[in-house]
Amino acid sequence: MTGMKRVDPRRAYRMGSTGLRRIVLGESGAGDAALRFTSNQTDSRAKPLRSSVAATRWHIAVAHAYRGRLDDHAREAIAAAAILAGPEVGVLAVILGAYHENAAELGADKIAIIEDLEASRYEPQREEAVVQSFVEHYAPEHIFMPDNLSGDGDLGRRLIAKQKGVAATHVAEIDAAHVATAWSSGPVLASTPLPGIVLIDAGIVDTNLPFVGAGETVTPPQLPEIAERFRDLGLEPSAAEAIALEEADFIVSAGNGVSEVATLEQLARSLGAAVGASRVAVDEGKFPRSKQIGASGKTVSATTYFAIGISGAVQHLQGIKACRHVIAINRDAGAPIVKRADLTIIADAEELMQALITRVAQAREQTDATEANR
Amino acid sequence: MSAPFSIAVLVSAGRHPVSGVPRACRGDAVAMAIGHSLAGSALRVLHAGTEDEPSLKDYMAYGAKNIEVVPVREGDDAIAALASVLRGVDVILTGCKAEQGAGSGLLPYLLAEALSRPVIANALEVKIERKDSSFDARIRQFLPKGQRRQIACATPLVIAVHPFAPVSLKYAYARQISGQIEVIPLTNPTCGAPQPDWVLEKAARTRVRLKAQEKKSGHARLLSAIVSEVKGGVVAFEGTTVDKAQVVLNYLREHRLVDF
Repeated sequence: MTGMKRVDPRRAYRMGSTGLRRIVLGESGAGDAALRFTSNQTDSRAKPLRSSVAATRWHIAVAHAYRGRLDDHAREAIAAAAILAGPEVGVLAVILGAYHENAAELGADKIAIIEDLEASRYEPQREEAVVQSFVEHYAPEHIFMPDNLSGDGDLGRRLIAKQKGVAATHVAEIDAAHVATAWSSGPVLASTPLPGIVLIDAGIVDTNLPFVGAGETVTPPQLPEIAERFRDLGLEPSAAEAIALEEADFIVSAGNGVSEVATLEQLARSLGAAVGASRVAVDEGKFPRSKQIGASGKTVSATTYFAIGISGAVQHLQGIKACRHVIAINRDAGAPIVKRADLTIIADAEELMQALITRVAQAREQTDATEANR
Repeated sequence: MSAPFSIAVLVSAGRHPVSGVPRACRGDAVAMAIGHSLAGSALRVLHAGTEDEPSLKDYMAYGAKNIEVVPVREGDDAIAALASVLRGVDVILTGCKAEQGAGSGLLPYLLAEALSRPVIANALEVKIERKDSSFDARIRQFLPKGQRRQIACATPLVIAVHPFAPVSLKYAYARQISGQIEVIPLTNPTCGAPQPDWVLEKAARTRVRLKAQEKKSGHARLLSAIVSEVKGGVVAFEGTTVDKAQVVLNYLREHRLVDF
């Protein structure tokens, strides 16, 4: 086959205005770079507005923000409101607590951020009054909320009880015509037409939208002076080590690459995290069986999962499926955990843990100092 | 032991989610155990439904000596019926969610609204303290991510108990035999608040995820089919250990995962 002229599949090209490839003659190679460049270009292209018509009717999505952001479940509620809205229906996102992201990406046309109503405080009556004022002003066709245990499910049910309308909770499937819930918590669904207030379960809406909302900020209403019937005595200070792994929000987990358990525990304390372990580390006797994460151990749903010296066997990755941010420290760049992790550091576990402990201590001191100066 | 305040617990007809076998609903049994620890034998146990409900036997085994049945047939308003019976009761305990039917978890809220009193959900521990002439309930509330909250509220109130509440349930066959069921006569069965008409599907199926409809050109669809999504995140190879530690800290700060 020698001597046969072959077409170079990676030859340079440019994307034409019609979206077709145009080969650049006289150049060779570099086609891959061009491809990456063009695909980047499509990503950065601004998404179109969902609707250019002025809204006459409204959908409202209500959710609490944590640490300035909405979790996936709350994002789904706003996305559902946007997807199910027709062209003349606007979407108002009412976000309780400080919020630093842009809800327009989730299709919100108007965004009301009530910074004063933090999820860490228990003020159901004020929250209810604020949402009620929006409901009265906009007269929404549907209200969408995430059905979670951290405030939104409670607030939603209070609204349902107050409004005495038809509502659906624990919604497992939703579309423009109907909602469905798992009947008797079993596999069979029961459906009903889309009601006024919808509390959705997690994982039922795709939040990747091909459009954006107008994202106009609405000045929140004056908070009503309401004498709460409840006295909030505050959140209990809970030691991170004492939290069950299934419930923990931040987990530092050790695998075969961790030689000094004491360093790992010190790192976990400095970050305020719970300690977990892979099967190998548990089998070696470094950790009790109750700390094991994975198929034969516990399934965790932490926001942050710090995998130190863990190669990431499928059984382990199964246990951390629900974790949002996975940070891995590993010596082997080809380990399966690298594919799963959002950030991988290729380094020796012990050295990096020591460095991180010092750096975290410094950062904490700096923050304390700036707060003291204020 | 009798308590100076009146307290009642509502128990529902539990069903095993897979086999459908009648059983005590875990949340309600836990609420009943908390009620027993607060008031002993003064605790009233109520069930809205029919007296021949098989799961009531389980509640008797868990310690209910006398279950009062509020006769509610399908289509009747259980909330109004319960509210008329419970009007004078200071503390009403319920579970968080029924095991049968839609399991909306709305009952404590609707009942509290009907009786115009406050409601607290997801309680793990309940303490009742005397405060001047009235009583004060102190509640430890369950929150996700290992957090717990303390709330105080004056009675009367409705408390929905979280199934994780730390109580041990003791099942005794002798109690199941000796327990009694009593039907409360109700005069006016009322028609209630609107409920969604759930239509049960015939068979289980996979749930369809809600996805925004996208109008793409053929070329764009082809591109999205051939350009695979990049798997994995950032990999940091270079720099000293201190630099790498800084990378981790930057990531944590950028995504607001730490508060320093």
